[in-house]
Amino acid sequence: MRAFILAGGFATRLWPLTEKRAKPLLPLAGRPLIDHLLGQLPADLSVTVSINAAFEKSFEHWKAQGKHPHVEIVVEQSRRDTEKLGALGAVAQWITQRSITEDVLLLTGDNFFGFSIQEFLGQYTPGLPLLAAHDIGDPGRAQSFGTIVPAPDGRHVAAFEEKPVHPKSSLVSTGLSILPAVHLPAVVEYAQSKPDNVGGIFEEFLRRGIPVEFRAFREPWFDIGSFDAYLEATRALVGDRVLLGHEAACAETKTEGSVVLGNHSVVRHSTLRNVILFEHCSVEDCVLTDCILDDHCSLRGIDLSAQMLREGTILERK
Amino acid sequence: MRPRVLLLLWLATDLAFFAGLYALAYFIRVGFVLSTNFPFLPFLTTALVVAPVWLLVLGTTRTFALTRNQRTMRNAAYITYAALVGVALFTLAFYFRFKTSFQGVSRLLLLEAFALTAGGIWLWHLIFDVIRRMILRRSPPSFPTLIVGLTRESKSLIAQLNGHLNPLTPVAILDGQGTKETEVHGVPVLGKLDRLEETLVHKRITHVIQCSNLEQSLNLLSACRRRGITYMLLPSVLGIVERDERVESLEGHAVTVVGPEIRGRWFFR
Repeated sequence: MRAFILAGGFATRLWPLTEKRAKPLLPLAGRPLIDHLLGQLPADLSVTVSINAAFEKSFEHWKAQGKHPHVEIVVEQSRRDTEKLGALGAVAQWITQRSITEDVLLLTGDNFFGFSIQEFLGQYTPGLPLLAAHDIGDPGRAQSFGTIVPAPDGRHVAAFEEKPVHPKSSLVSTGLSILPAVHLPAVVEYAQSKPDNVGGIFEEFLRRGIPVEFRAFREPWFDIGSFDAYLEATRALVGDRVLLGHEAACAETKTEGSVVLGNHSVVRHSTLRNVILFEHCSVEDCVLTDCILDDHCSLRGIDLSAQMLREGTILERK
Repeated sequence: MRPRVLLLLWLATDLAFFAGLYALAYFIRVGFVLSTNFPFLPFLTTALVVAPVWLLVLGTTRTFALTRNQRTMRNAAYITYAALVGVALFTLAFYFRFKTSFQGVSRLLLLEAFALTAGGIWLWHLIFDVIRRMILRRSPPSFPTLIVGLTRESKSLIAQLNGHLNPLTPVAILDGQGTKETEVHGVPVLGKLDRLEETLVHKRITHVIQCSNLEQSLNLLSACRRRGITYMLLPSVLGIVERDERVESLEGHAVTVVGPEIRGRWFFR
């Protein structure tokens, strides 16, 4: 088996945090989101990360840190949202160009999985596509997701529903699945007409009469596609505490909820509630609530709430 | 370079027009002869001395500002006000310099000088504004402007900027919501805000007008400050769409004010 991580999106909803980095490189509780993913995979698994040309430098920088030397990076030659191949298109291109003949563990790079991926791998039935489903608990909350309608046996998928008004289950499709080697030609074929639709390939399997299995998990799972989801994931992982990076400092400051200070970030005489500071930030005499500050931001004497600030923002009350 | 040269030319021609219009007032009143009872030279000298001060007064009304439309009644009022100050200054200067008032010569001359400078300068400003707009818009435009957000307000703004040949020339549009439109009134839609930095650089943007995406105002401001770009915000982004807002000062803080309009209380609201 080989792992393929989709990291080729442009993440425009998280602009400006994704102005110079892809979503999987966003820090989550002190380390890049993709590091959380890779840390869950078996050490001997061959891993390929698919990225776009716009974020090539940021991934080179990440790779240069040497934490994941075995990871291969393939660069899709698109620099704009309108030029991208599409997630399934990228998978199909990789399968074709590298003549992949093994099962593929497919992961979306912006997902955080609180459950064990190794356990998920252990539940794979060779030859049958397998999906990880997050049991969100209440079908009412599944309205904004793609949901799985389980078959009576509780193992197979009967149908899929995309953002149903009245969800038939509380099982939400996640960005973790296994594509068996035997069905890869179908993936390549389907990708020609629907290169954007990763989830659609499982509906296509059902249409072709190929049984699709799922495994349900109740542990936390986050699709970090928006500001709110990013803060929610941080709150879940960090809890009510302050997480300090290397040479970060938080002096004479009142904190509430989850507060993460990246490397070399310093906060003084402030109040922070659910705040993430990336690296080399400076905050003094501020009240920040639900804010995310990119690298090298400097704030003094201001109050902000629900803001994402781009790298190098300087706001100082005169 | 073009804007600076044009501004200097504008100031210089205004000075010349001021003195010239006073000379015209003299000849209309005295007749097209050089009178010995009321010599022309002291009159002209005084007009030339007062002209820079008058120009300074006119400058404080921001009539030379890039965003000022010369065709508005408010602008005409400012020019009239400056002309009135000019006549007062002229009278005082003439009295102090030559120890004589206009009482013995012609008080009507002062009224004519006022009317001619008020009307003449406004007319010249109207003409110069048209010339200036055409020159500043010539390719490449002097003030390439980025429009952020595609809304009905921003479409209307682009149409007006282009229709009136405003010096701020829309050259690109970015839309945070990812509109499917590819151009508006000939201005290309280049994508979402993730293309901000490259657009600012490649299009040599001098002005950014934010028309939506209020949540990104800090980031747009930050990008503008870093690159020395002028940032503007449409009131509609704040939900103010009835065009009855005004910017005032509250104990030194600039505030946008929307209040009930009471007739006749303009000066005291």
